[in-house]
Amino acid sequence: MLVLFTDTDTDITLAEAKEFGYRLISMPYSIDGVTTYPYEDFEVFDSHTFYDQLRAGALPNTSAISTQKYKDYFEPVFEAGDDILYVHFSRNMTATFDSMDIAVKELLEKYPDRKFYEIDTKGITLCSLLPVKEIGDMYKEGKSAEEILKWAETEIDKVACYFFADDLKFFKHSGRVSGLAGTMGTLLGIRPIIYMTEEGKLESIGKEKGRVKAMERLIAYVDELAEDIKDHRVLIGHTDSLDIAEEIERMLKEKYGDDLRTEIVVVNPTAGSHCGPNTVGVCFHANRRTV
Amino acid sequence: MTKTIDGIVYLNMLRAGAQKLNENRTAVNDLNVFPIPDGDTGDNMFMTVNAGAEKTQENEHIGAVASRAAREMLFGARGNSGVILSRIFSGIAKSIGGTSTLDADGFIKAMELGVKEAYGSVATPVEGTILTVWREGTEKLNKQTPDTFEELFDILLPELKRSLEHTPELLDVLRDAGVVDSGGAGLYYIAQGMRDGLSGEFHSISAGGTAAHAVDLNAFTEDSVLEFGYCTEFLLRLQKSKIKIDKFDTEAFTDWLNSVGDSVVCFKEGSIVKVHVHTKTPGDILNHCQRYGEFLTTKIENMTLQHNGSHEMQELKLRSKRKKPYGLVTVASGAGLKKLFTSLGCDVVVDGGQSMNPSAEDLVKAYEKTNAETVYVFPNNGNIILTAEQAAKLYDDADVRVIRTKTIGEGYSAISLFDPLIGDTDTVEEHLNELIEDVVTGMVSIASRDVSTGEVEVIKDDYIGFVGDDIYVDEKTAEDAMLGLCEKLDAGSYDIILLLAGEDAGEQAAQKLCDDLTAKYPRSEVIMVNGGQPIYDYILILE
Repeated sequence: MLVLFTDTDTDITLAEAKEFGYRLISMPYSIDGVTTYPYEDFEVFDSHTFYDQLRAGALPNTSAISTQKYKDYFEPVFEAGDDILYVHFSRNMTATFDSMDIAVKELLEKYPDRKFYEIDTKGITLCSLLPVKEIGDMYKEGKSAEEILKWAETEIDKVACYFFADDLKFFKHSGRVSGLAGTMGTLLGIRPIIYMTEEGKLESIGKEKGRVKAMERLIAYVDELAEDIKDHRVLIGHTDSLDIAEEIERMLKEKYGDDLRTEIVVVNPTAGSHCGPNTVGVCFHANRRTV
Repeated sequence: MTKTIDGIVYLNMLRAGAQKLNENRTAVNDLNVFPIPDGDTGDNMFMTVNAGAEKTQENEHIGAVASRAAREMLFGARGNSGVILSRIFSGIAKSIGGTSTLDADGFIKAMELGVKEAYGSVATPVEGTILTVWREGTEKLNKQTPDTFEELFDILLPELKRSLEHTPELLDVLRDAGVVDSGGAGLYYIAQGMRDGLSGEFHSISAGGTAAHAVDLNAFTEDSVLEFGYCTEFLLRLQKSKIKIDKFDTEAFTDWLNSVGDSVVCFKEGSIVKVHVHTKTPGDILNHCQRYGEFLTTKIENMTLQHNGSHEMQELKLRSKRKKPYGLVTVASGAGLKKLFTSLGCDVVVDGGQSMNPSAEDLVKAYEKTNAETVYVFPNNGNIILTAEQAAKLYDDADVRVIRTKTIGEGYSAISLFDPLIGDTDTVEEHLNELIEDVVTGMVSIASRDVSTGEVEVIKDDYIGFVGDDIYVDEKTAEDAMLGLCEKLDAGSYDIILLLAGEDAGEQAAQKLCDDLTAKYPRSEVIMVNGGQPIYDYILILE
């Protein structure tokens, strides 16, 4: 049997994971020395409280999990004689998968007949949630690991994700966005526009003045890149700024019709630690990632 | 009667001109078309002419004095009137050329080239300004043939005055405000002083002008280590009793200075040697120099404390590094405003604005400090643009692009969306120029006199809200004036309402204003920043 894994950095909730049949690997964050493992230390993510902490000045850190922790997740599956497909967030954004590689290597030596497959979504939050959900659909339909891997070969590159942030403080703290122009500390209404590259890295591609112009720019990217947009989910993610997410949803439906399959997603706290509150983005099926 | 003048007399005339203007600079400042106390034409022109008067050494050769004084004025130029003034004297110097003395006819010819240079220095010469006053004065002289300088000035001065009094007829803003042109007035005072300077009555260097930089004595404590040394400057009068003055080898002396210090500047004018050197042991240098003469002036400052000196050191350090591709220079006053521009990515924020225009030299230093291949400059004031452009001409080490931002709002708009990656330098410049087109900058300030604009009745000590030359509201408080101004400008139709609270704005009042505007314009993003700027209680930026 094939057992699906994904991680909490993909924004999937515990309830959704259960529904698709995913087992969840929890990616931790810490504030003031207190480490929290999403969906292990809590069942429901209270996003408002979390992002309000950030608004009040908290600057969280995130950390990689240990080789042992990966073994704890994977070994029972191999022991039971099952194989694993892990759909994870971008390798290019973390060092955590180095620990995983060691764990998997050791486990496969111990269980030589077992298979470990992985799909790098080359994204995080929305940008990985879209493939995670589509793979979940396929899994429920009874598709094999080979079929899913073949699908991923072409489809991962067709997941485009664009977003804008309110404050660069968090990105600067984490150092995970390249190309942020200047040394803008105070944003004063300036919204940097960031997207996920083919390599699974975050890159700044300009800035807009004001929320309205930033939202319009996101819609313009959808317009330019979208492919078969109605055949797929369109995810709108936010870090405790539901009103802006809803405004973008309204704009998209106005453009593509009410039957556009939009879903509003709350960005998980670990990824949210890197972008801070009031970040809003859109993820959709596109012919390519980069304009 | 004076038929010819030499360098000594010319310099005396310049010094007397600077002094006369200094005596009247407040009167010139007050010739402000706008009813708020921000006029600074008198200050600007004084600092410009005084740079020439103060920094030029006495010399009998008029050509040497004229060219040196003109160069100092070009560097010291502040404000539009200051820049034009420096060009007038630059034209005069060019015409005088290498001659050692000058007669009245030669002086008139020099004045004519001054007219030409001044008109050439501005993109669109406006009549009814300093340009007109100097041109008409020169034209009047040209029709007559004064034999002596006294005669020359007897013709010139009444004509300058007449021309000045007619400036309101040529320029509507002057007529509406009921004033004559301030730059023309400044020029008239300088000419008056120059006439007085002919008499040979010695005029010393005018004091005042540049404010002394505050020195923080705590920057060097009991535990500090002397790292930068002393900025040491002096004038040494070579003494016949000690050496043969014409045998003094300046080159060898400079080499010696370089062996005991750095940042050496040394030149000899007549029997005076001017020295600037950074050294950890100034005493050794002074002792050595006393072999050749005695000191006229000395100045020794610890560079850890000395504001300018430490900057100089930073510049030196910067210069040794490889140049970066681009740098941003802007002009602002107020701690909050400066911080804002720094946080937006500006390399150098030059101190200045409406109440204090920086000199061309200040800007050249700023360009230099960026240590960049291309420097984008945002003057943020209509009266600084010309200075910034003049400074760009004086600075050859970078491709300097002056983006003609006339307000803080335009500067903010352009700098905040500055994107060096969109293309080559021309494309970036074009993009920046596009960005400043749609921004509106409003101001609130206290009215310094009653005035009626037809639409608004301005009462002295009320707060007025205005955009450029248009006054929109008059209210009893700065906050009400800003609320009224926002309404008149239909602020709700803009995405961003950015407010910069000035140094006089109360914290609570500002917060309440921000809350009121947020409630009133829910579609817009209302942002309040503590700008700390002088004069304007609030600056409003709408985008």
